[in-house]
Amino acid sequence: MLHSAAEIVVSDVSVILGGRTVLADVTLKVEAGERLALLGPSGAGKTTLLRTIVGAVAPTSGRVSVDEADPFGPRREITRLRRTIGCVRQRDDLVPGLSARANILAGIAHRWSPADWVTIACGRVPRRFVPRLLDLAALHDITPLLPQRVEHLSGGERQRVALARALFGEPRLILADECTSGLDPVRAAVALRHLRASGSTVVATTHDLNVAGRCDRVVALRDGRIVYDGPPPATEEVERIYGTAGREDMVTGRWTI
Amino acid sequence: MDDLNPRRGWGRLAVLAVVALLVGWSFAGTDVGPASLIQGREGALQLLSGLFPPDLDGDLLSRVLAATVETLQMSVAALVLGVLIGLPLALLMAGNVQAPAGVAMAARTVATLLRSVHELLWALLFVATVGLGPAAGVYAIALHSAGVLAKLCSEQLEAVDRGPVEAMRITGGSRTSTALLGILPQARANLASQVLYQWECNIRSSVVIGFVGAGGIGQALGIALHLFRYQELATLVASVVVLVIGVDRISKVFRSRMGAASGRTSDRRSRPHRSLLEGSPR
Repeated sequence: MLHSAAEIVVSDVSVILGGRTVLADVTLKVEAGERLALLGPSGAGKTTLLRTIVGAVAPTSGRVSVDEADPFGPRREITRLRRTIGCVRQRDDLVPGLSARANILAGIAHRWSPADWVTIACGRVPRRFVPRLLDLAALHDITPLLPQRVEHLSGGERQRVALARALFGEPRLILADECTSGLDPVRAAVALRHLRASGSTVVATTHDLNVAGRCDRVVALRDGRIVYDGPPPATEEVERIYGTAGREDMVTGRWTI
Repeated sequence: MDDLNPRRGWGRLAVLAVVALLVGWSFAGTDVGPASLIQGREGALQLLSGLFPPDLDGDLLSRVLAATVETLQMSVAALVLGVLIGLPLALLMAGNVQAPAGVAMAARTVATLLRSVHELLWALLFVATVGLGPAAGVYAIALHSAGVLAKLCSEQLEAVDRGPVEAMRITGGSRTSTALLGILPQARANLASQVLYQWECNIRSSVVIGFVGAGGIGQALGIALHLFRYQELATLVASVVVLVIGVDRISKVFRSRMGAASGRTSDRRSRPHRSLLEGSPR
């Protein structure tokens, strides 16, 4: 199931939004297939960095490239690039009014043939998509939810559907913004394992040290600057990054900030 | 703190005085008042007494029924044409669909043009070109309602939650697939509600434009009125009332059912546009 992965180069990127410096001279290279966790207090610029990589926020200065393509280049280049990216965001961003399976399939709408449009409009799944859909649904424990409208699902269920949507097209790059925040610890671990197993390059923002600990590399941001870049950090290091002491969740045993 | 300011009180009085003057001036200028009503009481009494008893002759009733059915047919045909023209225009006009600027501008201009000409004027135009009869009425209502639907539906499309739309866009969704899969499904219930409301409007319009010869019950009404056949008029008016109330009821049932299916069960926080519709009957 392994497929090719993307390489990201961020050089000297600064982003100023509404007069506030959100990212300051961020330079970062993510190797193909690397799993990178972005750590840092709220407002440190983690989400903005993801949005810059995907071309949704233009850097005030500096340059971003994904597989040597410019996310701010010609429209055609942007579209081609974006089709290799899977996204899971803080808010799940599924389309209400569509079923879970239609949402998952919509992630690769550019691969639909006219016949597929008709099939999906009739509420069925084109045969060639069925095996992958069932595999992913089983992995994320959402098989019974597939025909349901997403507005009838719980937050955690929606998040798993969103994960399946991001993974469905076998993206070269997965950008995950707090993708496990609404999941219970067991399902979060499962989700992470599948993100790892996908073979894609993964950039995941998180406050969860369990998530960070399962990544190859951790980059921490604070006030828009990189303050740590290396293997998953020890507790003392994390406290330095956040400028505060962490605590252990009494129920889940997870160590959070 | 403002309430303690005496100037504010005087300001309010001045505004009230101006409004009162404006109202008085408008009434005086249009002869509205008891005098004109008293003056018209003879005519009114004559008309009212003429209305009773309504003509319930079998032949007339069958003609009234035919005219009522024709009005219903006109409203439905005009609705279908209006939706076929109006909905594509709405999609091209909606800002979040991101149609090319020139196309969006052209769509907006066409919609404004269609909407700003009243059905009655369109009807006069079509009666002059395609001749008397319901076809002229259907074209007239269809064009006007297409303009109205384009505007109202594009607003509904623009009011959808931006998150899912952006999520589709940043993973490489084309403009068409984002519009069809990201925007339309979110607005579906509201669009349907808008279309049903337009159907109610079409019924009312088709009664009115019948007066200029564009078919349906309105045409029969106009003829009865001009020939002073008040008993026939009474029957026709009663059938209009029944028709309008019936359509309103049916439409309301459908609309409330759709509201319940799409709005109530969903997470309202993430879909602020729902609350815009839930509060009001429209």
